Amino acid sequence: MTIKTTNEKMGQGVGFERIRRITGYLVGTMDKWNDAKRAEERDRVKHSLKKDA
Amino acid sequence: MIQSIIKRDGRVVLYDQNKIAAAILKALEAVQEGNAMDAARVANDVQRELEGKFLDNSPNIEAIQDAVERQLMNHGFSAAAKAYILYRANRTRAREANTKLMKTIDEITNIDARISDMKRDNANIDGNTAMGSMLQIGAAGAKAYNEMYLLRPEHAKAYREGDIHIHDFDFYSLTTTCCQTDITKLFKDGFSTGHGYLREPQSIQSYAALAAIAIQSNQNDQHGGQSIPNFDYGMAEGVAKTYRKAFGRRLRDALEDLLDTDLEQDALFALVARAEAVSGEKARLENTPAFDDAIIRELMAEYPINRANAEKLLKKVKERSFRKTDRDTKQAMEGFVHNLNTMHSRAGAQTPFSSINYGTDTSAEGRMVIKNILLALDAGLGHGETCIFPIHIFKVKEGVNYNETDPNYDLFRLSCKVSARRLFPNYTFLDAPYNLQYYVPGRPETEVSTMGCRTRVMGNVYDPTREISFSRGNLSFTSINLPRLAIESNGDEKVFFEKLLSMLELVAQQLLDRFEIQASKHVYNYPFLMGQGVWLDADKLSPNDTLRDVLKHGTLSIGFIGLAETLTALYGQHHGQSEEMQEKGKQILGFMRKFCDDKSKELKMNFTLLGTPAEGLSGRFIRMDQKRYGKLPGITDREYYTNSFHIPVWFPISAYDKIRLEAPYHALCNAGHISYVELDGDTAHNVEAFESIVRCMHDFGIGYGSINHPVDRDPICGYVGIIGDVCPRCGRREGEEIPFERAEELRRKYPNMPAFQGIN
Repeated sequence: MTIKTTNEKMGQGVGFERIRRITGYLVGTMDKWNDAKRAEERDRVKHSLKKDA
Repeated sequence: MIQSIIKRDGRVVLYDQNKIAAAILKALEAVQEGNAMDAARVANDVQRELEGKFLDNSPNIEAIQDAVERQLMNHGFSAAAKAYILYRANRTRAREANTKLMKTIDEITNIDARISDMKRDNANIDGNTAMGSMLQIGAAGAKAYNEMYLLRPEHAKAYREGDIHIHDFDFYSLTTTCCQTDITKLFKDGFSTGHGYLREPQSIQSYAALAAIAIQSNQNDQHGGQSIPNFDYGMAEGVAKTYRKAFGRRLRDALEDLLDTDLEQDALFALVARAEAVSGEKARLENTPAFDDAIIRELMAEYPINRANAEKLLKKVKERSFRKTDRDTKQAMEGFVHNLNTMHSRAGAQTPFSSINYGTDTSAEGRMVIKNILLALDAGLGHGETCIFPIHIFKVKEGVNYNETDPNYDLFRLSCKVSARRLFPNYTFLDAPYNLQYYVPGRPETEVSTMGCRTRVMGNVYDPTREISFSRGNLSFTSINLPRLAIESNGDEKVFFEKLLSMLELVAQQLLDRFEIQASKHVYNYPFLMGQGVWLDADKLSPNDTLRDVLKHGTLSIGFIGLAETLTALYGQHHGQSEEMQEKGKQILGFMRKFCDDKSKELKMNFTLLGTPAEGLSGRFIRMDQKRYGKLPGITDREYYTNSFHIPVWFPISAYDKIRLEAPYHALCNAGHISYVELDGDTAHNVEAFESIVRCMHDFGIGYGSINHPVDRDPICGYVGIIGDVCPRCGRREGEEIPFERAEELRRKYPNMPAFQGIN
């Protein structure tokens, strides 16, 4: 991998990769998700481990 | 006098009455209403009409066609007039389809995939690459053709208007969805990829390499996900071969050291073979007391060595062979994972969509495979990236790996640890009653396995003696827009079930129409899948045979989306909100499943019910329904319909309740199902908590499940975990830079940090 370096620094413009499961498989980064699936991912709530929630 | 006419594209050409007469004659002949004389008479009147209207000006095509319609009616050729009108309408549709197609190709060519939602319809294809775009252009062309020429009008309408969705429509006339490739059978005596012949592999490295090639080969014969149902059992044979070879080599080395002389390798291999023949046991990783004894005897007979030394030597040889085999297996598994994340299929547009199933092989070789594939998954790719492919599926079975006293329990624990970090493996549960009914100990083909997003194949009404997972797959699937049926029923349950029944009939017919196309294909169309006997019974066919009978081992699946929105539209609540709704939900899917079962019995073909993966579909139906019905609260007011039978992703619920409520639908959806639990990162990394959820899924009868948690990565410092706004390792924000010095400092602490050209 080659990245841009300036003044002895590196990483400018490089984002974080965020990997999520889509419909059973993983997708490298969410950039490739369609709009509906992105919205679904945004809306997901975490599930608690309590039995009586 | 009409001299010229204006064509659709604006060009002016000479007027030719013969052309009009020829078109009229075609309409007359189509309905057997008149002859060439009639056609000429009608054409004369068309000309008269046009001259009256246009004088010396040029009429356009539409005006001429209007006149033809009128004059056919005037002459009493009403059937021909009708045929002509229909023909015009079809031509118009074809023209519009062409225009649409050109616009689509224009978008594929010119718009960045990050802006074009259409180009991100399938997240697995990079729409910004040359080959990805080529694939999308081909798909767009195939879809336009299939809709115009292959679908019945009522199916085309239902598809176009979003009552149903025909999945993988671009491949409609070309192939089937997916297959579970039995690698044990495939590797025996070698195989051809369709491009070249490969000998039977002789080491774990070549087993793993060929497994990747098998997946790649089949990905070019089918459009869906490719899977290996017996990854552990299949690879175990490669491990055994590697061990046996290592044993012979280490034996020679150790003996040479002991006797301080040179020995022939072949002599030692021959000695091992004799010991195997005498003892009836192979040189294996397993405990082999008879073989060990035979080796010691052979050594003492052949070489100047006493029993004590022979025993000592054997112990050392076995230890070293074990280490060598373990190392080779680890490398082979790492290579396999790297291959499947980098090798191309479909002219480079994507990596193969691959799945591997494992977890139940309790042999020492099988266990070595499972351990090392999990470790390879855990290690990630070259820079520690999480592997996207293959999908790993761990098969959970009581008596094999579920209880603490089970032989593979340690591997189940390891799988939880890895999944808590890397999102894979997912879990299938062989103890769920609808899976257990097929399970026969010692016969891996009876263990349920999954492929692609969630597809499952087990039952077989076509051949009840072959209710197995191996060598079978899905042929095609079509999904129903369930929420729309509910909205259209205005809260009337009876109306809903009537509508549902007729929609099920429509989809079943469409699947059968497609089956006719698939059934008429030949073995030579699928050089790997059929030509190499990967598909069940294909090995009994010759290259020119058609596939009708063997394809009947596959499934035709009816899918759906949005059970939650359907219930809300019908009754005001979804199944997460009340037990009554849960009963209603089971009733609806029970109805659909019964339809599939009845159809299967009637036609002796495998109709199955699918909880559709719905990647592209999640937004397609609801966009159309919002246009029709507006934003109905809890039904059409989001950007997506809820996946299959899931409790809505935004609805607060405990993991326990979600699993409990979704499990009964797994039993009904025999074509495939999956349930997710969403955990925050801290809980997910707690292996006990993670395992407790997997156990909860097992105990409630979930068929296939996985646990979602955020996995982020900073490509600069290589940190993998949860990253909020700031990377916990290097402290930068998204897009920010860090000084080289800081990177060097971090590298001393984290030697596995990514290296960049020209920097380190």
